[in-house]
Amino acid sequence: MSDSRAPAAQAPALRAALARTWGETVALFAHVPFGVSLLAIWAVLTLIGVIVEQGRDPSYYAGAYAPPLARLILRLDIENIYHSPAYIGVLGLIICSMAAATFTKVIPRRIPRLNPVKIDAIPLHARLRVAGDPDAVRARLAAFFSSRGWQVRKRAFGGTEWTFADKSNWARRGVLVAHVGFVLIAVGTTIYWATGYSGQFAVLSGQTATIPQNGTKVALERFAYRIDPVRTKAGIVYQPIDYVSDAKVTARDGVTRDAVIRVNHPYDANGTLIYQSTYGFAIDFRVTHDGVPVPGPDHPLKEGEGFVVDGTTRAIQYQRFVGTIDRATGMPGADPRPNDPGVIVVAFDGDRPIGQALLPLGVPVDLGAGYKLEAARYVLYSGFQYRYDPGIPVVGIGAFVLLAGLCVSLYFVPARLFIIVRESGAGTSEVGVAATTVKGYDVFEDRFREIVEALRRDAPSVPHANEAAPAPVLGAV
Amino acid sequence: MDPTRELIDQVLLKTAIAAYATGALVLFAYFLTRNGLYRKIGAPLAILGCAAQLVELGTRWWMTGIWPLTNLYGSLSLFSALGVAIFVIFALRYDLWLVGGPVVAVSAIALAYGTTWNEGYMPAVPALQSYWIKIHVPIVISAYASFMVAFCVSLIYLMKAYGETRFAARRGAVRGIAATAGGPPVDLTLSASTYAATPALGSARIDTPATSQAAAAGDALAQWLEGLPSLARLDVMQYRVIAIGLPLLSLGIITGAMWAKEAWGAYWQWDPKETAALVSWIVYAGYMHLHTRPEWRGVKTAWISVLGFATIVFCYLGVNIWISGLHSYKM
Ligand code: HEM
Repeated sequence: MSDSRAPAAQAPALRAALARTWGETVALFAHVPFGVSLLAIWAVLTLIGVIVEQGRDPSYYAGAYAPPLARLILRLDIENIYHSPAYIGVLGLIICSMAAATFTKVIPRRIPRLNPVKIDAIPLHARLRVAGDPDAVRARLAAFFSSRGWQVRKRAFGGTEWTFADKSNWARRGVLVAHVGFVLIAVGTTIYWATGYSGQFAVLSGQTATIPQNGTKVALERFAYRIDPVRTKAGIVYQPIDYVSDAKVTARDGVTRDAVIRVNHPYDANGTLIYQSTYGFAIDFRVTHDGVPVPGPDHPLKEGEGFVVDGTTRAIQYQRFVGTIDRATGMPGADPRPNDPGVIVVAFDGDRPIGQALLPLGVPVDLGAGYKLEAARYVLYSGFQYRYDPGIPVVGIGAFVLLAGLCVSLYFVPARLFIIVRESGAGTSEVGVAATTVKGYDVFEDRFREIVEALRRDAPSVPHANEAAPAPVLGAV
Repeated sequence: MDPTRELIDQVLLKTAIAAYATGALVLFAYFLTRNGLYRKIGAPLAILGCAAQLVELGTRWWMTGIWPLTNLYGSLSLFSALGVAIFVIFALRYDLWLVGGPVVAVSAIALAYGTTWNEGYMPAVPALQSYWIKIHVPIVISAYASFMVAFCVSLIYLMKAYGETRFAARRGAVRGIAATAGGPPVDLTLSASTYAATPALGSARIDTPATSQAAAAGDALAQWLEGLPSLARLDVMQYRVIAIGLPLLSLGIITGAMWAKEAWGAYWQWDPKETAALVSWIVYAGYMHLHTRPEWRGVKTAWISVLGFATIVFCYLGVNIWISGLHSYKM
């Protein structure tokens, strides 16, 4: 029996402990410096991703960094930091922190109830003595502030009547709007992570490529580019002006359509956007041994691709296309357009690079031991990126909500005046005014001074309570 | 290049550089001496430089039909012009001419450095051929310019706050500047007998008591520091300029994302430039949050503003020069 009662007795204690832990966690998350620390971690992780090039293969990091650093980059997912658990985790914590702060701090603090205050305890305060009994003075004060665009409300607390005047009260919700905007962006991004996809592919002229995730087919009929020579202070610069692919696209609906995919103008294939991102020159390499063709690569190679020369330990890598070989020097010329084209290849023995050469197109070169290599012809290829992102509308709305929230909270300073009027004898009243804003006092100091001066002008202080001079009247509005 | 165009371009450019260089010197002299004559000479020089630059960019566009902000020269040129323009607006509105020396000097340096990237008239690479460049770039640059002005205000704030800690330490009573920055309660209690005794507020407010005391005792440096706007006022100015810059930076990032979505199908590509702008955005969002806390408002937030501007410089120049990407202007 005692066994069954013990857990029952422990349950409230456990619940209390859990409630306390929950309360402490919420309080920690709602603490602004904690939230800002999370923002700082987010900034640092983001900055690391700017400095360390993202998405390269491991050999790149091994080459670019000292071995311990390269290992660290790969082990900690720094090469793909924006999709790493740490990055996504920090964003999740920021959202939690923002939510905790919004409910426990922003709403109570930024949208406070109308409550009486100790006028003199508020740094921005003033006291004036004016003519008239309290009711009349209150009425004149209400008219004074209303006519200047303040929202005036009256409340009685324990028999004392208070007047509250608010400016830009609506703008107190700006923070909420900004926080909601940020959450919407996070939701939209999550929708993409959960259901969207993206990638890239290259198609040679005359060939077809398929987007693996949805089966969309892109048949490239023709690719064209325009590069113009431009005379600048530094000499002639060959400036790319345009590139465009003529293709036939068969989207998910099974219908084939003619598509002109031009740089800066993505093609929409049933919700998947296909963007003209790059182009290049694929090369048809041929190898002979003692004049007899030997098997070479089975497709034209793109920049960076290579092949092993059949029957040897040697490999050839196609490094880069040279549009124009300078006739005088035999070196790559500045004009990237294929006038007198060639290719730069690197030869390897096993993994070891043994030399680099510039091969004019159509001219076989000796590789030694009876082998000859020829870059026979080039085929233009077009490089595309694609993306299906159903989260875009949510992100878009979130971005504008966030911006609206920022503008509201940063350009408008909601201020509240607390006004109390007390009888002070000889037909006069004492007016106490204090001001609070959501951004501290300094930001409102000048404005408060102007308000008090306007009040003073309209209702000059009674020179001295015991002086006989007639008390001035709070000016007409 | 057409010699007439070249000549107009050069005349305007040299006018701007000369106006900024002398304007910066004169406004620095104003900063040091508070002699109003320097302000009267420096302010028109700054305005002249700014106008010459804007006209130069406008004529470039008009004469070549090529949007001038597609290279680092055009961009830095607009940055310096907008930096001066924002400063002038603030100076006119809040009597902030004291900040002119550093602002105009930074603008002059930015413009002079920009001219080293002036390649002449080049059509934009395909990635930059879009009407979005006319919307996105000026917005982002105006955000950078606002942060530059805020940075200059922060420097003056930190200088004055540092002076206060030194004088307070000398007095043997080091008081936290954060507390002074928030300011002692301002008693505006008005009655006929006390109103006249109420210290003037705003620019004349005293929130550096140790400096004031040293100034009263005849210390020349303290007297000079005393003449700067109060810490509270400098803090409010810095906040106000950042409050303009942050929504502009947000809008800049959003228009950049819209451009990317329209041109490249993806609104966010983790391109080094947009990512670096996100870093700056986070830093300034952090600033805004900490600025709501009285214990952080002051020296700490001024340092965050300095850090924020360092991230802007990295985003603006560091990424363009050291890290390539869609935004490097040199594809
Ligand atoms: C990164 C996304 C965020 C954005 C865009 C954002 C936006 C804003 C804005 C614009 C303000 C008004 C600032 C002012 O009036 O000067 C604000 C205030 C506030 N934010 Fe955030 N915020 C974000 C994240 C957070 C986080 C992570 C927290 C968690 C602690 C948080 C808690 C608060 C609080 C408590 C306030 C009100 C401060 C006060 O009135 O004392 N925010 N936020």
